[in-house]
Amino acid sequence: MPDAGARVRELRALESLAAGRTAVHRLHPLAKLVASLVFIVTVASYGRYDFIRAAPYLFYPFIMMALSESPYKLLLSRVLIALPFCLFAGITNAILDTTAAFTLGGVTVSLGIVSLATIMLKMYLCVMAALILVATTPLTELTAQLRRMRAPSVFVMVFEMTYRYVGVLLEEVRSMIIAYRLRSGKKKALEMKHMGSFAGHLLLRGFDRAERVHAAMCCRGYSLKHIPPARRRIKPSDIIVMLIVCVPSVLLRVVPLY
Amino acid sequence: MLRVSNLSVEYADGTRAIEDLSFSIEAGESVALIGANGAGKTTLLLAIVGVLPPIAGEISLHSSAAGPDEQKNAPAQAARGAVKPELVLTQRTGKDTLRELRARVGVVFQNPDDQLFMPGIYEDVAFGPRSFGIEEAETVQRVDAALSSLGIAHLADRSPLKLSGGEKRLAAIATVLAMKPDLLLFDEPTAYLDPRAKRNLAQIVSGLPQGKLIATHDMAFAAETCSRVLLIREGSVMEDGPRDILFNARKLEAAGL
Amino acid sequence: MHMADALLSPVVALAADAVGVAAVGISVARVKKDEFSEKKVPLIGVAGALVFAGQMINFTIPGTGSSGHIGGGILLAGLLGGVPAFLSMTAVLIIQCLFFADGGLLALGCNIFNLGVIPCLLVYPLVFKPIFRTAVSYRRLSAASVISATAALVLGASCVVLQVMLSGVAQLPVGTFTALMLPIHLVIGIVEGIVTAAVLCFVHRARPEVVTASLAGGKLDGIPVKKTVAAIAVLAVLAGGALSLLASKNPDGLEWAVEGTLEKTAAEAPGAAAVVPGAAQADEQSGHPEESSTAGALHVRAAGIRDATAVLPDYSFSYDGENAAGTSASGLIGAAITFVVAGAAGLSISLVKKRKREAAGADA
Repeated sequence: MPDAGARVRELRALESLAAGRTAVHRLHPLAKLVASLVFIVTVASYGRYDFIRAAPYLFYPFIMMALSESPYKLLLSRVLIALPFCLFAGITNAILDTTAAFTLGGVTVSLGIVSLATIMLKMYLCVMAALILVATTPLTELTAQLRRMRAPSVFVMVFEMTYRYVGVLLEEVRSMIIAYRLRSGKKKALEMKHMGSFAGHLLLRGFDRAERVHAAMCCRGYSLKHIPPARRRIKPSDIIVMLIVCVPSVLLRVVPLY
Repeated sequence: MLRVSNLSVEYADGTRAIEDLSFSIEAGESVALIGANGAGKTTLLLAIVGVLPPIAGEISLHSSAAGPDEQKNAPAQAARGAVKPELVLTQRTGKDTLRELRARVGVVFQNPDDQLFMPGIYEDVAFGPRSFGIEEAETVQRVDAALSSLGIAHLADRSPLKLSGGEKRLAAIATVLAMKPDLLLFDEPTAYLDPRAKRNLAQIVSGLPQGKLIATHDMAFAAETCSRVLLIREGSVMEDGPRDILFNARKLEAAGL
Repeated sequence: MHMADALLSPVVALAADAVGVAAVGISVARVKKDEFSEKKVPLIGVAGALVFAGQMINFTIPGTGSSGHIGGGILLAGLLGGVPAFLSMTAVLIIQCLFFADGGLLALGCNIFNLGVIPCLLVYPLVFKPIFRTAVSYRRLSAASVISATAALVLGASCVVLQVMLSGVAQLPVGTFTALMLPIHLVIGIVEGIVTAAVLCFVHRARPEVVTASLAGGKLDGIPVKKTVAAIAVLAVLAGGALSLLASKNPDGLEWAVEGTLEKTAAEAPGAAAVVPGAAQADEQSGHPEESSTAGALHVRAAGIRDATAVLPDYSFSYDGENAAGTSASGLIGAAITFVVAGAAGLSISLVKKRKREAAGADA
């Protein structure tokens, strides 16, 4: 589990990426959203042994990362978070499914291994697609798009505020933990018996903060009324890029090349 | 332009926070609100905009002919018939009046993190005008004007997570300025600021044409930005007078400072 | 444990997404009806951030040397009530998915169900409240917390297994897997329950009104929640049923459409084979680029395409030996080449862009 400080840094890193100005960043958020979803659904729809058929999809993350000037290392480190569970499920496959698939240089590769590789590949592709979406689209643009699509404004607001205060409260937790460690002499974790008051204080302070935030919102005329954000026109170029991602993805899935 | 008469406010648990408090602020005037911790400064500011309802007394806001906007282009204002009506806030004031009052009185909170609740600065500054149903074209213009008048136009696309304390403070002020208020209420504006950011803020605050009520513990800041002082203790006015009070050790000590 | 896209079939994932969307919709409607709803929105938002930040606090579990952290669903429900807590959890799950790659975008529905619906909309009203309701005492609060947290965790973990199994991507041996998962989650659940109880007792001592108010929120959490639960259950069954019909082995949806189109093109124009890249390429490889595109041949090929086009993977766990078209050494090498070419393409774009930037920098 990464600590609070690491999470704040990760959040900031993604935010600076999303603030970029490349052609990918300038695309309409709806085009990016649709392209990412179509890509993910198509990749996820491949069968257990379709490792080779799914391989061409690797072009998408590589090209998108290059076009949007996203650092490869940063995004790759996120992929590792999704790894353990997928690896666990994949290795179970590898152990159970020992039917021989083919031999490679005298070594027999089982179908289980092929399915493990497929799961890893699919995981990489899906995680990258989602990461590229948020690394090239500021959150405010995504939520504005959600509002335009008539998502319940109460929920969009809750989501925006959660995102906003995740950063603030992570900093608070970090300094609380440092203060605790300095007095406890312990290296890392809290003692379990202190959790009640530690987390309890954090919660109570958080609720007080919610009161003040509510007051601040009221002072600026907040109400539950739905306020649709400014329309952002979707240009032909946005649609073309969207199709460049979606059409080959689906075609490749539907029409077997090999 | 703002008159507070015999105001009393209670907390939810029944403790009296403000007791029979009266004062007034003229258009364009800057008043420092000085008092010890727990004297009721924040409570008073929140009560003026009706976030904390009064249990007695009233607050009235009227746009005298010499409001900040009117001063600059009085003929144009008069031609448009834009003289704003008097607003009175009492125990029984309805929601519509409250909204109108909050559009005309802007509060800058002590902690900018409480005030900046949207994921992006631009969105946050636009939140007020949008909530009040201002058209998008004018909202854009107001946000740009508010940000550039504070010299932070370059922060528009940033996230509050990445701003320094001073930048956050200015962004919080911009969110209020975008609503074009007649009166500004500041709660500890110099909190979390380094000396240089404080000097910068003092200059900016002095340059704002609106009427101001500034709650602060920073005597130097108060002396630089305000011409009058309101000294309060335990929810009541102790002293209301010129800025000499700031340097009167005996009076400050009597107020628990 | 967050579900990943790679372990789900689109059918299962989309069914769960539909349930998630419905649960959010119903919950938003409930919150809106509440007279304090304007105040609830910032509270729910900040509470979500609190859960996220709270999960970063590691504590040592006595006697084991390992460490744990709070999950949050039951804790939040105990403080805010089930429906607001559910919305907070959902917001947190979306943020974890988007910004921290914790759980997939497609898998959001599953995660919302396992970690949001189960603790907040099922366990809280059906287990926590009945235990705690009669009298407010620390013993009852503790019992309710431990039992609810354990139940929520075990149910959630079981759902993860169920969803992976239904997807047919990984073949988890159900018996062994359950035997392995359940005791672990039972222990984690009890530890989490104890911590949840400690936090709730602390908050209750400091501000009794917070905990009792969430229980008293009858309008928000009384009968409507039961209706909500029922509605979600019905929806889950409907969505699952409809989509599994779609996924059955009969030609359907997308597959059917593709097959139909191909047959039609084949019948209409023999030369139209070129519109299908795969078909055209196959022709070239077979050495008859021009003359082989007869209607008959295409028809056969269309059938072949349909067979290979299992858009939605079968539920069967056995390997039928036919759809693994590319499981060969040469195919593997092909995949490796693809990887290198894709990487090279990305790299060259980066280099070109970098050079352009440098040139622009030099000009300026």
